[in-house]
Amino acid sequence: MAAETKLSHTAAMILQAIHAGYVYGFSIMEVTGLPSGTVYPAMRRLERDELIRSQWELQSIADSEQRPPRKYYKLTAVGKTALESSRKRYPLLERLFPVEEAQQV
Amino acid sequence: MNLNLNLAFRAMNLSMLYAASLLVSVDRREEWLSEWKAELWHVADARIERSAFCWHTQREVAAFCLGSFADAQCLRRQAWDEQSKAVNVHSSAMQCLLWLASLFVLCAILACLLPGVRAEYDTVLHPVRPNLLLIAATNFDDHQVPAITYAEFQNWRSSYQRYFDGLGFYRTDTQTVALSATRNGKFIVALASTNMMTLLGLPVRGANIAMDTDRSLPQVILSYDMWVRSFGSDPHAAGRTIRIGEQIVRIAGVLPCSSWKPPVNPDLWLLVPDAQLASGNQDASGYVVAHLTKIGQQAMDTERISVTVRGMGDHEPSFCGIAINGNATGPWRIYLFALFLAALALPAVTSLSMSESSFSSHRPSWKQSMSRWLFLCAKLALISSIAYFASLDIAYARVGGYSETAELMQLMANFLLCLFGFRWALMDQRQRCPVCLRRVTHPARVGLASQTFLGWNGTEMICVGGHTLLHVPSLPTSWFGAQRWLYLDTSWEFLFADLTL
Repeated sequence: MAAETKLSHTAAMILQAIHAGYVYGFSIMEVTGLPSGTVYPAMRRLERDELIRSQWELQSIADSEQRPPRKYYKLTAVGKTALESSRKRYPLLERLFPVEEAQQV
Repeated sequence: MNLNLNLAFRAMNLSMLYAASLLVSVDRREEWLSEWKAELWHVADARIERSAFCWHTQREVAAFCLGSFADAQCLRRQAWDEQSKAVNVHSSAMQCLLWLASLFVLCAILACLLPGVRAEYDTVLHPVRPNLLLIAATNFDDHQVPAITYAEFQNWRSSYQRYFDGLGFYRTDTQTVALSATRNGKFIVALASTNMMTLLGLPVRGANIAMDTDRSLPQVILSYDMWVRSFGSDPHAAGRTIRIGEQIVRIAGVLPCSSWKPPVNPDLWLLVPDAQLASGNQDASGYVVAHLTKIGQQAMDTERISVTVRGMGDHEPSFCGIAINGNATGPWRIYLFALFLAALALPAVTSLSMSESSFSSHRPSWKQSMSRWLFLCAKLALISSIAYFASLDIAYARVGGYSETAELMQLMANFLLCLFGFRWALMDQRQRCPVCLRRVTHPARVGLASQTFLGWNGTEMICVGGHTLLHVPSLPTSWFGAQRWLYLDTSWEFLFADLTL
């Protein structure tokens, strides 16, 4: 997908959330307030368009914390460029969930 | 109580995830389910208190699980989109060659499985020895009838032979044959001199197996038809014992399928020593198979000659000698002949011209032209190979062995398949984009038939890769006689940007 592609507000919010450090589906739902039926399909489309990519957590880490392994999402280079363009389009996006806040969480 | 309710809701949530997973394609289902189950665990961990039951939180978790249906649908749609992109490959050259190659493999496998085809190859691989003569009498219907008694044959064999260097005798009789304790039937048994198979030059299949068995019993050789019909082509038939009349005999092997059919097509050949042949019915007549010497070959200028034998006493009986033609045409020769006929008939069913005309001076590169010709050659080669095997399948689908009717059917099928296959290949080639070799699609009528002489009217088709437009006139005129290609320039590219080519 071209870097100049115009993203929907939802997609831009999800990209911003991932960029801010909310890297798995449930945390993105929590921070954006979007329902699961919106967040997960949007993430599928973003992954298809190669704006984000996913990776399974190591089983050993999940075992040590006694929980099932999570699937983590990460912005790609194209995704970062698309997020930059979206920030120009939606100036308030950056203020929704600043990076520092997520890192503290 | 609370724990039970929590467990019931947990089971319901999981069943929702499993139900939604059915919408996801099989190859991605497991991973998708793992992700959702992990997410559900985290949602439940964050929301549900283990000690207490709360309708509100359970509703939130159930709403979360309901979202899985939307996600599954989204993945399903993506899979469809990928499939629809793959549809664009449908008309590609590779797709066409793959289809033809699959058809070729299918026909070849089928031909290998058909017993009739194997028998046909047998007739080619094991022809009857050349320069053989069958000596008998002929009746009014031109059928060969047995005319020589064993005593006459013995007398003949013992005298000096100028024209023959090998003589064999057989006479036929219908006898009850017990194939096993429970199976018996009437079969035509040929009582033959022991040199008969050597004289005919036919290798006996399974003879090495029978060699290890008890050779004190008389040896019988099954005809190919009987082996297929009564023994179900059992490869271990050789060495078994059967009963012919009151006599127990051992199967020494099976004759290969041969294009030569003896006058009374025997089911079994019982090879017996001279003493046994002499001790039988003295008046029973049989046939003599003779191998011609060089002098005999020179004397035999036609297929049929009169043979006069010095008889016992003053009597000199005369018989008819017919050359045994054991050389089958073979499927390969029939195929080549059909191919030749199809090549001759092709101009009658379609135009052979592959010359291209275009609206502009643009010409495809030599590489594109070369790949186009290579594609045509590959198609023709595959079609002719398919025709070869498919014609064998058609001819021998219901025939277990060699037959002249099957050979005729093979010739006809081969000719028709080659002719119409080549016609299709040429017509298909004319509708392939010279740049990417895809078939042009989306036909659109252009112009009015009533204005044929005022303006162009015909069908316009486009290459899905956006390389060319093909104009085919409805009515060839002096100024628009053949189809023409219009090469599209780069300004068209935006229309085809989404296609994966």
